[in-house]
Amino acid sequence: MIRKTKVSVKICVGTACFVQGGADLLLYQDFLDPVVLANCDIEGVSCIGGCKDDTLKTRPPYIQIDDKIYGEMTQDKMCALLSEVVHA
Amino acid sequence: MLELNNQYTMMKRQVHTQVLKQFFNDTLSEDVDKIPIQLIPKQRTPTRCCIYKERAMVRYRIMAFLGVDIEKDDDEFKTLSSYVDEVLEEDKPISPLLTTISTACSSCPPDRYLVSDACRGCFARPCLANCPKDCISFSNGKAHIDESRCVRCGKCMEVCPFHAVVHIPVPCEQACPVDAIKKNEEGYVEIDWEKCISCGKCAMSCPFGAIVERSTIMGVAKMIKEEQHITAIIAPAIEGQFPGNLAQIKQALLATGFNAVIEVSEGASETCDHEAQEVTQRKQEGLGFMTTSCCPAYMKLVDKHVPYLAGRRSSALSPMAYTASLAKERYPQTKVVFIGPCLAKKEEAAHLGTIEGVLTFSELASLFVAKGVDVREMSDSDLGDTMLFEDCRQFALSGGVAACVSKRLTVGDEIAVHKVDGIDKKMVRVMKSWERRPIEADLVEVMCCEGGCINGPGVVAKPSVAIRLRGGNKAASPVASMRSIPGAKE
Ligand code: SF4
Ligand code: FES
Repeated sequence: MIRKTKVSVKICVGTACFVQGGADLLLYQDFLDPVVLANCDIEGVSCIGGCKDDTLKTRPPYIQIDDKIYGEMTQDKMCALLSEVVHA
Repeated sequence: MLELNNQYTMMKRQVHTQVLKQFFNDTLSEDVDKIPIQLIPKQRTPTRCCIYKERAMVRYRIMAFLGVDIEKDDDEFKTLSSYVDEVLEEDKPISPLLTTISTACSSCPPDRYLVSDACRGCFARPCLANCPKDCISFSNGKAHIDESRCVRCGKCMEVCPFHAVVHIPVPCEQACPVDAIKKNEEGYVEIDWEKCISCGKCAMSCPFGAIVERSTIMGVAKMIKEEQHITAIIAPAIEGQFPGNLAQIKQALLATGFNAVIEVSEGASETCDHEAQEVTQRKQEGLGFMTTSCCPAYMKLVDKHVPYLAGRRSSALSPMAYTASLAKERYPQTKVVFIGPCLAKKEEAAHLGTIEGVLTFSELASLFVAKGVDVREMSDSDLGDTMLFEDCRQFALSGGVAACVSKRLTVGDEIAVHKVDGIDKKMVRVMKSWERRPIEADLVEVMCCEGGCINGPGVVAKPSVAIRLRGGNKAASPVASMRSIPGAKE
């Protein structure tokens, strides 16, 4: 089952995230599965606040999938997370 | 070479940011000794043997960031705080650029060929037949290599139909183009400074982070804090290193405490004019090929290892040198800080005398984060009239220098160009061979880093990302641009 609405994905390109590896996430077109890609609305956005939030026990880089923020993002983690959400 | 973004780089950037944050909060001297514990808390699952070793490593990273020569000045009784006091008192000398941390070095065994489990002890046994030193024997139905006789030619690996032979290199030794890396009696890494050309390839390749650059950032941080007049001269490779366009990066620098920003492309234009003239003249006189002279690691390579090329190098100064003089002309009292992707530039700068500081992009990144400057949030600053040197922003890419020189030739003149895109052991041998058999070209463009400066040891974004973010306003909205021109180079 594939969901009806597209998943909104925001990649943080604030400086803190960008320099801690967030830059690599911008290559998403190269590493995401085409099906996942087709079902996501992906954009780069300014600081989404993760880096300033001490209650999050994670570090940059952050991305936001729908309303939830995820830290310490890597290409692999992003692949796994998104295919889970898309195929949910 | 290691993938740029890995656990070690990330840790390094956290350490650097933390040190700078404390420095600007005036708490560095009191709190610096807490950083290892803050970054490696008790709950952490260690990647090295234990958290205590990891903390010790953070301590060494801080020392290197402060500019301490760990090989010489490692005193385990000394607190980090006393190192800080020393550094705040007086800047450390630039050389040597790198320092090794023997505690981090895993003293990798010498490189070797190993027969893995995949060996099926086949009947044809091409390894046995092709080994020139007869060091392969069979027992229990598997091949074995006699280490003592092996000359590391790799023939057995090439011929094995099962890919069962693996080569296990020593990453730093393999990366060094000039064999400057040795192991001391205890098996730990040591750099032979007589041979080293400061290219930084070893530091980029060690998976244990045992070879680190000695940063010169504290000198710059002090200038910023004392509110001295500072001019940042930014290397052409800077575009694509931060999430914003050039105008925003310039604005971010101003927000960080630099007073003026000049693009090194401006000086690069002068380098090109000079080289265009020189290459034409050499061609007319039939003097044979000329090489570019802007890559400092190449300059050192020639001085130390390929002396005959000295007469072949262009006499033009580097873009950095011209730009520094420009800065001093425009703002006579200013302190000039070069910001680039390069380690070897630090030594070049030290000899020039017109440059007071050098930062890598990676160090600048920590500075931005520590100061809370967000490049993407910056408004566009005025870049001034860039018409005359805009094309020289291509200096950052392999092929870019030659292209700019060619553009500046007198109409009708043409030159044959050869590119040296990255210097490794093999390339050094090739260059040496040109002494007897000169290469047929008029201009040889040399870049020590493969792909050009955008692949230098001090970058933040790896080339594949940087290339897509470069050019005009694309960097401001990186994602959209990537969608519209997938995989586009420019
Ligand atoms: S020449 Fe380059 S790789 Fe070799 S030791 Fe020096 S910096 Fe390291
Ligand atoms: S910079 Fe990414 S969350 Fe703040």
